[in-house]
Amino acid sequence: MVSATALRRLGGLQLALVSLVILAPVAWMVLSSFKPSAEVTAYPPTLWFTPTLDNYRQLFSSTPFARYTLNSLVVAAGSTLIGLGFGVPAAFAVSWRRMMWPALVTLAARMAPGTLYLLPWYLMFRWLGLIGSYWALILTHAAITLPIVIWVLLPFFDAVPHSVLESAQVDGCSVPRTLWRIALPLVVPGLVVSAILAFIFSWNYFLFALVLSNSDTKTLIAASFNFIGEGATYWGALMAAATLIALPPLLLAFAVQRRLVAGLAVGAVKG
Amino acid sequence: MASIRLRKVVKKFGEHVVIPEMSLEIPDREFAVFVGPSGCGKSTLLRIIAGLEGVDGGDVIIGEDRVNDRPAAQRDIAMVFQDYALYPHMTVYKNMAFALEMRNMHRAEIDRRVRDAARMLRLETLLDRKPKALSGGQRQRVAMGRAIVREPRVFLFDEPLSNLDAKLRGEVRTEIKRLSQQLRTTMIFVTHDQVEAMTLADRIVVLNGGRIQQVGTPEEVYNHPANRFVAGFIGAPAMNFFPVNVEAEGSGFTAVLRDGTRLRLPISQTEGIRAVNARDAVLGLRPENVTTREFTHSASVRARLDVVETLGSDTFGYFGLAGGQYVARLKADFGIRPGSEVELGLDMSAAHLFTDDDGHAIQ
Repeated sequence: MVSATALRRLGGLQLALVSLVILAPVAWMVLSSFKPSAEVTAYPPTLWFTPTLDNYRQLFSSTPFARYTLNSLVVAAGSTLIGLGFGVPAAFAVSWRRMMWPALVTLAARMAPGTLYLLPWYLMFRWLGLIGSYWALILTHAAITLPIVIWVLLPFFDAVPHSVLESAQVDGCSVPRTLWRIALPLVVPGLVVSAILAFIFSWNYFLFALVLSNSDTKTLIAASFNFIGEGATYWGALMAAATLIALPPLLLAFAVQRRLVAGLAVGAVKG
Repeated sequence: MASIRLRKVVKKFGEHVVIPEMSLEIPDREFAVFVGPSGCGKSTLLRIIAGLEGVDGGDVIIGEDRVNDRPAAQRDIAMVFQDYALYPHMTVYKNMAFALEMRNMHRAEIDRRVRDAARMLRLETLLDRKPKALSGGQRQRVAMGRAIVREPRVFLFDEPLSNLDAKLRGEVRTEIKRLSQQLRTTMIFVTHDQVEAMTLADRIVVLNGGRIQQVGTPEEVYNHPANRFVAGFIGAPAMNFFPVNVEAEGSGFTAVLRDGTRLRLPISQTEGIRAVNARDAVLGLRPENVTTREFTHSASVRARLDVVETLGSDTFGYFGLAGGQYVARLKADFGIRPGSEVELGLDMSAAHLFTDDDGHAIQ
């Protein structure tokens, strides 16, 4: 028999290990962003150093960082809105009609490797003359946000009693009105969670922006790639950029931490 | 207010036929109760009338309008659901006002109707509460209030009492009865509880296996069941069924139980028995027609009581006879013990006879 104390200790050890694996790169990233460039790649890594803002200075002086931030914001917000606009009615319909295939199709599209889409999309958007426009990025990122919205919202809609929706119909609601007036107010926590997750995933998505944007519409994450050059990689500046890129999703997640946890648990313990 | 007519309605779920073909008319202002066991199609029928289910054949007519293709929203019906289906994010007031807002009704009129209904249902002090702050009985009343404010052509109730405890169920039942007398609107009430059916209905529609077994007043259904199913379903405890041989004796007929006990059948059944030339049949006697023997009884049997249920007002005694298990309604007496031998009187004037094969009543 393993005693409860031993189990607890084992649990603590596991937690420490997992935290180490997850947090060590983050700590390394943040620390490196404040290191003088010579120390960033030093081996073994130095823990004690004189912090400097040189990397951030280099970042802001050598790149239009504000511009890229705006691009990322526009693309993430736009694709989140599109994801919500289409994903909310889709999740509602899938839940109501118990018809899973549309949800599975969006998931399958998401499971396919992004590189699969790159060439066809590049050609398509070139024909449309949209390469380098926000629309190319917003629309392609919607392929990421849409399945998130649908799959996060599904259990929330499933948890709304069918009779409540039927009651709304008997009371005179059309289907869109039933969604808007009855179902939507009941899934607000899911809406918040799905919006935040969609935003974060779009914000962090790298591949499409690399190919479909130009210097005007480059997103932060694609722009940070510029620090990795053929001859030299500016690790310090790259780490500074990475730290700043990670900040908004982190703040968002903290702000709605409790809702996020409750929202993600809905599928597990419905009702 | 409106009548409801179903003409040759067919309903399937996939390949499974739930309602083979059904025609039914419920006149204007009538309180009809659909009753039957689980899976008999009664709720499906109600949902078809509501417009929440389509039909695979036939016509649904409300008033003068064929409504097959009309969504629930446009049928001008109100429905009370089994789980009440209140809107959790709205107050009691909003719950009741919602349907009226959907119809763009004037705010003053909405307020008048909601307050009238709240008064009628004793909900005035609860108008600002959300459903989760209400008890089961209160939620039930809000659900009814929500239907009443609509002043619809038809009220539909889908087993609205089944989630309430026994005492509350009785109270709400009375309340619904009172409402129906006040409102005089066409109402359809679905239940599997024959007591609710008997107490509420102007007319009872007994269903089984997607088919109508009988349509009639509570008195007709109780006293003149059309078949063995109806006889067994309506009435609690259920009717006793004795397999018998029917033999001609003098000018009438006698039923012979499997153990040889001979029971003279009422003269009123003579014609019916002749018409179907019945040999093997099933004799039906309700528990209240199998009682402690009195001198007026023409027939009697001796029996040993296996189980005794004393309810205070009644005592039910269960006994075995000629290979079957039966129940008698005895005098209210707490002294009756299991195992006691009793002489039971049978009121043969109230006897029912059913054909052995398809269970039709022989009348």
